Amino acid sequence: MPKERLEPEKLLPLTSSVFHILLALSDGDLHGYGIMQEVSEHTGGQIRLGPGTLYGAIKRLLANGLIVEVDERPDPELDDERRRYYRLTDFGQKVLKAEAQRISKLVSVAQQKRLLPKRT
Amino acid sequence: MLLAYPREFRFVYGSEMTQVFCDCYRDTNSRGRIVEFWVRVILDVIRTAPLERWETLRKGETMRNVKRDVLGFLACLAIIVLAVIPHRYMVTHGAGSMFLVGYALDAIISAGVVGNLIIFVLMMAMRRSTFRTALWSLLIVNGALLLIAILIGIRVGGFNFPAVVVSYIVSFLFWLAIHWIWSQSRTPAEPVA
Repeated sequence: MPKERLEPEKLLPLTSSVFHILLALSDGDLHGYGIMQEVSEHTGGQIRLGPGTLYGAIKRLLANGLIVEVDERPDPELDDERRRYYRLTDFGQKVLKAEAQRISKLVSVAQQKRLLPKRT
Repeated sequence: MLLAYPREFRFVYGSEMTQVFCDCYRDTNSRGRIVEFWVRVILDVIRTAPLERWETLRKGETMRNVKRDVLGFLACLAIIVLAVIPHRYMVTHGAGSMFLVGYALDAIISAGVVGNLIIFVLMMAMRRSTFRTALWSLLIVNGALLLIAILIGIRVGGFNFPAVVVSYIVSFLFWLAIHWIWSQSRTPAEPVA
């Protein structure tokens, strides 16, 4: 059951794997393996999701209405039709933005404490 | 490895997880990092399968069945304790006229302890049908205990073969009846759509 009325902030902080999955889906619809590759790519190979972590997170994201399963596929001719594609919902987008802002605030604090260089 | 996850989870994501596993295996194999791949996959299963199982257990129907199973387990323990009391009395007072009852109680206690323990462990781990698990477990346990009793009886001597055989048949039928009654009160777990 999607929880559209839930405040995005109520779901924060997101776990690292959930944040990266949502981040991967922010560029467009992806299937499970596509999400894994995207996460591995944008973290420089630091985070490699296993099948159990990925589908456990997908199950919870679907239940909370942050993502939905879609029937359309980007390239039907090249793709295996058994694959399921996932899409970020508007609510998922809001949660992702809220988490990014939360992290950004943390970065600001770290910059004020001179743990990180300030952006010019 | 998929078997480590709950049935409901496998039903929804099993084929996709297999496909992703095959894609990852192909990709990693081509880069010659197969050991790293297996370590990562095994650690992933160890970390996520108990979480999924716990989440499934927390769901209504399954949780209600767990409560019922625990109650059933306690009821079986109570039956065993009730059987131990007259058994101990007969052993200490040498109640000769109740000798065959003593054999039956002996079988009911020993098969009850071993058989029920196996049944509960299997049911908690696999969430299989109560009655079928009970039927096979009790058949094997009673058969094995009967065999052990015969072997010991042959060595020691003074062995009442018909009484022991009848007592284990009685024990098997007794525990099977208990588990049949119990299985009738169970709610079937619904697959999560």
